[in-house]
Amino acid sequence: MILLAANWGHIWMVTLLGFGLVFVLLVLLIYVLKLFGFIMRPRVKVENPQEVHKSVGAPRKETSESITLTGNATAAIAMALHLYYNGIHDEEPTHVTIKKVERKYSPWNSKLYGMNNLHRN
Amino acid sequence: MKQLKYILLSLTLVLSMAVIAQEQPVAENAAVDELIAEEGQPNEAGLEEIGAIAENELAESSAEESVWTEVVDFFKTMGFVRVFDGKSDSGDWRQLVMLLISFFLLYLAIKKQYEPLLLLPIAFGMLLTNLPGAGMFHSELWSAFLDPESPAYHSYGAIMKEGGLLDVLYIGVKAGVYPCLIFIGVGAMTDFGPLIANPKSLVLGAAAQIGIFLTFLCANALGFTEAQAGAIGIIGGADGPTSIFLTSRLAPELLGPIAIAAYSYMALVPVIQPPIMRALTTKEERAIKMKQLRSVGKTEKIIFPIMVATIVALILPDAAPLIGCLMLGNLMKECGVVDRLSKTAQNELMNIVVIFLGLSVGATATGASFLNWQTIMILVMGIVAFACGSAGGVLLAKLMNVFSKEKINPLIGSAGVSAVPMAARVSQQVGQEENPSNFLLMHAMGPNVAGVIGSAVAAGLLLTFLG
Repeated sequence: MILLAANWGHIWMVTLLGFGLVFVLLVLLIYVLKLFGFIMRPRVKVENPQEVHKSVGAPRKETSESITLTGNATAAIAMALHLYYNGIHDEEPTHVTIKKVERKYSPWNSKLYGMNNLHRN
Repeated sequence: MKQLKYILLSLTLVLSMAVIAQEQPVAENAAVDELIAEEGQPNEAGLEEIGAIAENELAESSAEESVWTEVVDFFKTMGFVRVFDGKSDSGDWRQLVMLLISFFLLYLAIKKQYEPLLLLPIAFGMLLTNLPGAGMFHSELWSAFLDPESPAYHSYGAIMKEGGLLDVLYIGVKAGVYPCLIFIGVGAMTDFGPLIANPKSLVLGAAAQIGIFLTFLCANALGFTEAQAGAIGIIGGADGPTSIFLTSRLAPELLGPIAIAAYSYMALVPVIQPPIMRALTTKEERAIKMKQLRSVGKTEKIIFPIMVATIVALILPDAAPLIGCLMLGNLMKECGVVDRLSKTAQNELMNIVVIFLGLSVGATATGASFLNWQTIMILVMGIVAFACGSAGGVLLAKLMNVFSKEKINPLIGSAGVSAVPMAARVSQQVGQEENPSNFLLMHAMGPNVAGVIGSAVAAGLLLTFLG
């Protein structure tokens, strides 16, 4: 009797249309965000080696978007990537924590017995 | 043992006073009766003498009686007496049961730390409202508030005039103010970066809302009205403020059970979700490592809340209060020029509103409105809604893996039910059980915050269709 009393046409309409609209609205947001990400993405200009070869001797064009890395920095990045992709990085503790580190008192970090205070006395 | 003796003694005293208070003592003029018995029926002089004696006796006894009456009246005002006097309007056994339930919820909040920030005020609100005779919350005033034929129909003035403390606080729930204020705080504490970096998360957030609509169907089949079914279904969104907002509009009579179900199940996310996640995924799927998310710039984070609030509010105006407040809080956090406002929204405002909201929602859980079959059905359907939502997210993530080149760990799908950040933490924990070097937390935060937007949108849709 309860099942018959309900307006099942309307109930199904609310269910299907409601869930469908949630999906449509959030999918619409995905496209907006993708477009947004495309517009806002950081632009790193990678120079084509052939073009570089052609322009040898010509004055280098300085742009705010170009990135210059030193040899050391490049080596460090390459090493990090190598360790990461080959899974040979140190095993992490795998614990995410927000515990504060307790700083215990030590005469070495004391403000009372600092050099400045001794000087004033 | 000694303490037990004192407790038993005091209980006996109180119960005996309660019994005495119920049996009205009849004052008898014993002295006059004695005189008549000794000297037989009086003549005129005797009558005068008796009259004088009687007056003296009456004066003395009325003094004694007035003290006695005061004591009895005082005992009649006690909650213990009201519970046992058999009058349902002042108090009954259901209130005692509700007091026991409130003690249990307080235990869960304090000892087990299940969502203590909200469960504790809710439980204490329940305690206060079920104290017989305290008069802190009057459900009959709110019934009159909703009755079109009553002179107090939609009259907040009548509530302010005749209501107790909790009635006044409840106005904020009724007007839908507290959930929106809480959403400002939630927005100010939320980082939408993982969602902006991986917009696909929004689909998982949408899929997890299936629990809302399936439960809506079930509730209708069980005989609830459509509006009540919509309010019950929203429990599947796993979002307390959204549940309260929608229920206060669609089915205010169910606010107590729905709020308690929503917050209890949110606290039980680490218990409910892992078995579902394990049942629906293989070991290999659980061990999938996801590509690191791109970094998100400050400008993107500032434009995101403005853009989402505008788009959602233009498409679905009924969702504007929740989404608007959520995005306002987030904008205050991300823009970096109103740090004081952002900190206030995250701390003081949020905390104050949580106290008011918890107390007033707990106050609606009176014995008469809570102890019935409806509440049990709501609690059962709430868990079904939660389970369906979690399963929906996981299954859609598996489906996405079929069509997508970049594999997604299906465990992050279950975080699509809001419950920020508990659901994301559960994804991280279950993922690490298979692969300890797998960090899913930030990936799961995307669907998690998408779930907040999704449940607010679903609430707006239900309000549009059923409100």
